[in-house]
Amino acid sequence: MKKLSVLVGVVCAVLFLAACGSGGSSEANHNEIVVWFHTSLETPEGEAMQNTIDRFNEEYEGEYTATAEFVPRSGSGGGYEDKINAALTTDTLPDVLTLDGPNTAAYAESGIIAPVDEYLTNKDDLLPSIIEQGTYDDQMYGVGFSESGVGIFYNKQMFEQAGIDLETLPTVDEPWDWDQFIELNETLHNEFDKPVIDMGFDDKSEWLMYAFTPFLWSQGGDVVSEDGTTAEGVLNDENGVKAFTFIQDMVKNGYSTITPVEKGFHTGEYAMKLGGSWTIAELEEYPDIEYGVMPYPTSPDTGELVSPSGSWQYAMSASSEKQEAAGALIDFMVSTESLSEMSLANSVLPASYSAIDEITDEVSDEMNVLIEQNAASAQARPLLPNYPQVSRIFQDTISDTTYYEENSDIQALLDDKAAQIQSALD
Amino acid sequence: MKKPIRRIIEYTVLILIACIFVFPLIWMIVSSLKPEASIYTDMNGIKALLPSLNPSDWLQSYKELFNRFDIVQYIFNSVIYAVVITGGSIVVNAMAGYAFARFHFRGKKILFALMLALLIVPVETIIITQFTVAHSLGILNTRLAVILPLIANIFFIYLFRNFFKAVPEEVIESVKIDGGNNWTIFWRIVLPMSKPAIATVGTLSFIASWNDYLWPLMVLTDTSKFPLQVAITNINTTEPVFTNQVMSILTISTIPLIIVYILAQKYILQGLGGSGTGIK
Amino acid sequence: MNIKKKENLAAYIFLAPALILLGLFLVYPSLLAIYYSFTDYYLLTPNDINIVWLENFIAIFKDPVFIQSLKNIALFVVLVIPIQVGAALGLALLINKQRKGNIFFKVAFFSPVVLSLVVISVLWLYLLNPSEGLINNILLNVGIDPQPFLSSPTQAMVTIVFVSAWQGAGYQMLIFLAGLQNIPGEVYEAGKIDGVNKWQKFYYITLPLLKPTSILIMITTLISAFKLIIQPMVMTQGGPMNATMTPVYYIYQSGFSDRMIGYASAMTVIFGIVIGIVTLIQSRVSREDDN
Repeated sequence: MKKLSVLVGVVCAVLFLAACGSGGSSEANHNEIVVWFHTSLETPEGEAMQNTIDRFNEEYEGEYTATAEFVPRSGSGGGYEDKINAALTTDTLPDVLTLDGPNTAAYAESGIIAPVDEYLTNKDDLLPSIIEQGTYDDQMYGVGFSESGVGIFYNKQMFEQAGIDLETLPTVDEPWDWDQFIELNETLHNEFDKPVIDMGFDDKSEWLMYAFTPFLWSQGGDVVSEDGTTAEGVLNDENGVKAFTFIQDMVKNGYSTITPVEKGFHTGEYAMKLGGSWTIAELEEYPDIEYGVMPYPTSPDTGELVSPSGSWQYAMSASSEKQEAAGALIDFMVSTESLSEMSLANSVLPASYSAIDEITDEVSDEMNVLIEQNAASAQARPLLPNYPQVSRIFQDTISDTTYYEENSDIQALLDDKAAQIQSALD
Repeated sequence: MKKPIRRIIEYTVLILIACIFVFPLIWMIVSSLKPEASIYTDMNGIKALLPSLNPSDWLQSYKELFNRFDIVQYIFNSVIYAVVITGGSIVVNAMAGYAFARFHFRGKKILFALMLALLIVPVETIIITQFTVAHSLGILNTRLAVILPLIANIFFIYLFRNFFKAVPEEVIESVKIDGGNNWTIFWRIVLPMSKPAIATVGTLSFIASWNDYLWPLMVLTDTSKFPLQVAITNINTTEPVFTNQVMSILTISTIPLIIVYILAQKYILQGLGGSGTGIK
Repeated sequence: MNIKKKENLAAYIFLAPALILLGLFLVYPSLLAIYYSFTDYYLLTPNDINIVWLENFIAIFKDPVFIQSLKNIALFVVLVIPIQVGAALGLALLINKQRKGNIFFKVAFFSPVVLSLVVISVLWLYLLNPSEGLINNILLNVGIDPQPFLSSPTQAMVTIVFVSAWQGAGYQMLIFLAGLQNIPGEVYEAGKIDGVNKWQKFYYITLPLLKPTSILIMITTLISAFKLIIQPMVMTQGGPMNATMTPVYYIYQSGFSDRMIGYASAMTVIFGIVIGIVTLIQSRVSREDDN
């Protein structure tokens, strides 16, 4: 039994040491601020953030000091957001924190974050979509530090095999409408006799909200009314029906599939993929695939190009006693230099006009298509305090739509879902 | 000795079943030894279960992984947490199990029923209140915060209680007559006879703490105290996700668990010999 | 009297560490959850909690998703318990024997338990892919039409049952194994002399002696089956059309995504009562068997 007693001894010792190791948390000093980032220091994003903080500390030496704490998240924000929620209950939020765009309304409404307009020295430089996603009740609460975008990735070899002239493909200035896009799918489908585009229908998460609302918006429809109070008669109006019918047809005609093979586009299984800017980085590992990127197709009724947008942002916690310093830091972190560094390091789209000018020569043609599309057509998701419920019901709506046999009556489906969103809003 | 044909059949069946269970493990290890693109192009053939044909590819993903993350630090943290939690869990739960198995005390029935009732609490849903407790105890951002909540476990108490009940009364009585008190009986007689239970609880507890992700993330702010799981989630959710690197870190994190299990199952067998009731 | 007092004291000393820890990290948080179930606690405003009495409970009974999730979990539990526990017992019996290479088999059967759910879900999603997956290729060779599996509202839950049983059986196998090792060898020796055959040995000796272990396993598997969350979370996100939405997953979503702690707590309370009743019935039934 010696072993066991040793074990017990070790346990006690470690418990003791662990207890001792609990050094006091950083003492409050008026010039020292703490920032929480939603990513690990070991990612390119985290490194870029740390660099920015270092430069801030250098520039404001003797005046302000910022310390960064990195909290890796899981999935679409879990982990990090749980930690924020927990810190709220114990009143231990940091001075500056990052938050995902759709959370702006809820955080602002609950008085967790404070407006930052007065601290921003160059607000006009920010892209309209960035301002849109950070603004609640006419005040800017969050400042996005990058943009995101989605385009249609296509496999050049497979297109040529199907006899498609790559020169005729759409551009941001001259996008195709849904009819032309369906025609393209038909050509490819005839050639390969299997689904030709992976639209990520299997990813039942924020993706379905983020990537599919542009179809609805292009048609002139919306998820909820402008003032965020009504869904009935909005989601389920005739524009809604048209947009969702287009989405359903993509599956019904066999162009897309609800069960795509993982990395199917990367391995030449599918000729197209609805993919984000991160897909460009992924494809570096697949040098055999020659690809290009084209913009979203538009509604034939309006011809208006709309693309998704949104990202994580910086915000100041309302409980911070060092708002001057926190404001200075946020302003510093959205300067041209900081934003350019972030975009290059993390291969994401830049969030301001000056950052676009700064990096446009340094990124690939494909990335430039997304940057161009973003500047021309990005629209932010609705700002609602109960965004999570609304988004989830919308995701269900997209997902249900793809089950065309069970849900052939789009109008009935949308009526039902609009009622659900309505009860979440009330 | 049985007929050889019978043995061959027996082994064939066992191997077939084993294949059904073990192929994900093999796939994981093999996938960590090839470029990401091959993982997906190989998927529909036997090549899915073979590493890259070019051995120089094998360690590539591991190299990239070690460049990106301070893996050694994470492993060290995880080992500390797992060892302390496992040790603590064995001692604390065995003691409680012993009390339920061997003592007659006031409130025993109610307490036991209450514990069983608590089994139904879905722990996933009370994590915020657990956090406020950790905050009031003042242990946030210490290793203690990671360790304490995982030690006491009703299921393990129940498991120990069942085992201790099976220890023959005479053995304990004879020690009592020799002047042994409860404490010595527990440490000297009962616990050594319960190696199968200790090995079982130890293994399960080690796995549980090794795989814990959300709780450490919530109570720690200091990156240098994060366990390996945090790195895994991180690498698995930061776009772009490279599947071969994901498989490498999963391989690294799975191997200790397999080793612990192999060691533990040896003790289950030893427990047999030690208690003098071996089947042989 | 003195002895009794002494025994009381000794018992509580043995229990103290466990009771303190459980009290802090399980009992107290659970009691708080019960309190929250009567409030409008919104996660982002922890300083503004108002008592609303039964409002949450009334809303829950009108919530179609929660009711759907109860039906789903009932189906899951009914299917998974016999499959998983049966498989676990079978595996334990298979390897509870001295033979060459046994360690390999033990590790093999146990390996899905220690494997990350990421590996498991990626792999099964691949295998179960309706158009490309290996399973459908095999079925096709045997002359069965390809099945949609996880993408079908009717098959998704059944598929999760099989993946869960496959993944979890090794865990219960380990406990069965420890239970089998606890059966004294003399009992079998005695049986040998009486000339019982293999099945008689299993039915009349092994099974009854395994009873405490079996009850333990049945109860804990039942409870953990009720708490199903991870598999649908990673494999189907509760879909398609809520066919794999489970109560704990929905509670988790309401609490942490939708931030409605009050509502989520009320669902926890209701669901806790449901599990409690079922467990009680089940343990009564197995105890009556005993007599």
